[in-house]
Amino acid sequence: MQFIILFAVLISTYLMIITKRTSALIRSFRYQSFCLFLAAFMTALRERQLDLYVVAGLLFILKVLFIPQLLYRTIKKIKASEELGLFVNPQLSLLWALGFTYLSWVFTVRLIGAQDAAQVIMFTIAFFVVLAGTFLMIFRMTALAQIIGLLVMENGIFLLAFTVSGGMPFFVEIAIFFDVFVSVLIMGFFVYRINKFFTHIDVNKLSRLKG
Amino acid sequence: MLIFFILGIPLLLALACLFVKGERILGILNAIGYLIILFLSAILLKQIALSGAIRSFFGFICLDTLSVFFIFVIAVVVFASALYSIGYIKNDIEKGIISEKKARIYYLLFNLFSCSMFFVPAVNNLGMLWVAIEMTTLISAFLVGFYNRKESVEAAWKYIIICSVGIVFALLGTILFSYAFSISGLSKSLNWSDMVPVAHILDKNILKIAFIFILVGYGTKAGLAPMHTWLPDAHSQAVAPISALLSGVLLKTAVYAILRFGIIIIKGVGFAYFAHLMILLGVISLIVSSGFILVQKDLKRLLAYSSIEHIGIISIGFGLGTPLACAGALMHVFNHAVTKSFMFFGAGNIVSIYRKHNMNAIRGVIRVLPFTGMMMFLGVFALTGFAPFSIFISEMMIIVAAFTKGAYLIAAVLLLFLAVIFGAFINHFGKMLFGNLPKGMIKTGERLSGKLAFLFLGLLICGIGVAFIFIKGEWIWIVQKLFLV
Repeated sequence: MQFIILFAVLISTYLMIITKRTSALIRSFRYQSFCLFLAAFMTALRERQLDLYVVAGLLFILKVLFIPQLLYRTIKKIKASEELGLFVNPQLSLLWALGFTYLSWVFTVRLIGAQDAAQVIMFTIAFFVVLAGTFLMIFRMTALAQIIGLLVMENGIFLLAFTVSGGMPFFVEIAIFFDVFVSVLIMGFFVYRINKFFTHIDVNKLSRLKG
Repeated sequence: MLIFFILGIPLLLALACLFVKGERILGILNAIGYLIILFLSAILLKQIALSGAIRSFFGFICLDTLSVFFIFVIAVVVFASALYSIGYIKNDIEKGIISEKKARIYYLLFNLFSCSMFFVPAVNNLGMLWVAIEMTTLISAFLVGFYNRKESVEAAWKYIIICSVGIVFALLGTILFSYAFSISGLSKSLNWSDMVPVAHILDKNILKIAFIFILVGYGTKAGLAPMHTWLPDAHSQAVAPISALLSGVLLKTAVYAILRFGIIIIKGVGFAYFAHLMILLGVISLIVSSGFILVQKDLKRLLAYSSIEHIGIISIGFGLGTPLACAGALMHVFNHAVTKSFMFFGAGNIVSIYRKHNMNAIRGVIRVLPFTGMMMFLGVFALTGFAPFSIFISEMMIIVAAFTKGAYLIAAVLLLFLAVIFGAFINHFGKMLFGNLPKGMIKTGERLSGKLAFLFLGLLICGIGVAFIFIKGEWIWIVQKLFLV
């Protein structure tokens, strides 16, 4: 069961990398967060700890319900075009993603050895998700895509923390959730500002400061 | 107990911003509050240096000499900045750049920002350390974009995105540290006070990888090249007192985080690994910044690049790792914080009169603003490490340590680039201070609070640096206890 969930995370990340439209990106992000929620919830069921239920619940509310909704609303309000603005076209992006998957596997084996197959798979997928988030931040032009890229990276780290060490200490986990929440609000605020001043949200064209 | 006052007073001041009307009263209230914090942190520093580390609040807060030293540095700069803000904000209101209501928002953010910075050295848990540093980014982003112009919004966006990405890598590193801790069969914990004693039994391979993530992550926030690209934008667009805070202490909180992990690495993996990485990044920062300083046209960006240079020097100092070098690097943290805030205050005064950042348009400062001009004249020598000032002493300690250790190449590189930067600074500032006055500029009066901030920092630049020579022995002993366990 756990592997099915991890596989679903992998698929949703690939979907994010090859998509061309912002709304599709947000939808895939929602799928990915939902898979993470399932993983967290199943760990909670197994371990029977209240903390883990709370963390899973918060994850669901924040990353599955609230943040995607907020992002959808932002697109509607600023009437930005649906195009993500790709530096790298979908086919090439897919190749990159395959390369990333292989790279994170090599990295994992170097790091923890190849004995424990289950753990190797978890590590690999977590690192891959982080790399995919970085890729989205660098090779997509709009400000919204950068926000989602950051969230994807954070999802990857959540997955890593949850699978390898059963999560961070409880209050740290809560504090990190709070942090993610605040940072999305603030970045959303700045997206409005950028749209107001520049009448676009193409961060590639923000080049007034140099040298 | 004192630490709770230090953390609590900024929060109370932030609350006061919601209720107190009138920015002048708020400004004065702020300055008084931070003066109290400065005294408290000085007392705390003395206590802890004598008695050793303390833990309180269920081990949530843990203070040793290193953390209290950073709290003291933050307190000094925040106090000076609060003092300077009174006049600066008043000036902006009179010129109609910001409204009265916005001034209150400024003070609210100022207090929240300084509170989050005080949290960084105080917390014990490495996860909370991460949260505190991310909080400083999020709050100060508003202060970078405060003037609501195209440039400042752009700077704020770059700042928040680049620092957030950097810091996500730092979180990854933190999790790998906790993983190394959990597979060694010990109970789950992220407190550095639990990690340091057992560092030698942790998995070396994982620690090494984890530290690279930490260095990239917090190094981004500290402004180490090549991850420094956000820094000149954010420093040049922020409100002047905030530029001083960003450059003076925000970068140092990230340095503190690197050191915290560095101590675990030194015990776990050995010193050479830590040293090589720190020296590598330090030298790159020095080279990159000196290039940009030579060709710079924007006054505040010039100072921002100089911050990268000094962070590079600090990182080389810690990388050399002899007690003298570490002592010098810690001294440099303090000296750079004080001197750079001093320079940013001056730059703030100049920019608000000339209304330009471009150094080619700024001429004859010493005739328009006699007091600021005079102070900048002293400051530029202090910043580039001229003899009687404090930065000279800490740089000298690092260079001497490099020679005695036999690291001649590093010493030579340091001296070469310091000389280049010295020349560039004298060239830029000589023209700005003494050149021909542009048309229509007349001599302008300056506000008392601004002058007081200058005098306070000026006293520290001339005084502490010199007084330090006399307590060098004790200082080196403390540093030895901290790093070379």
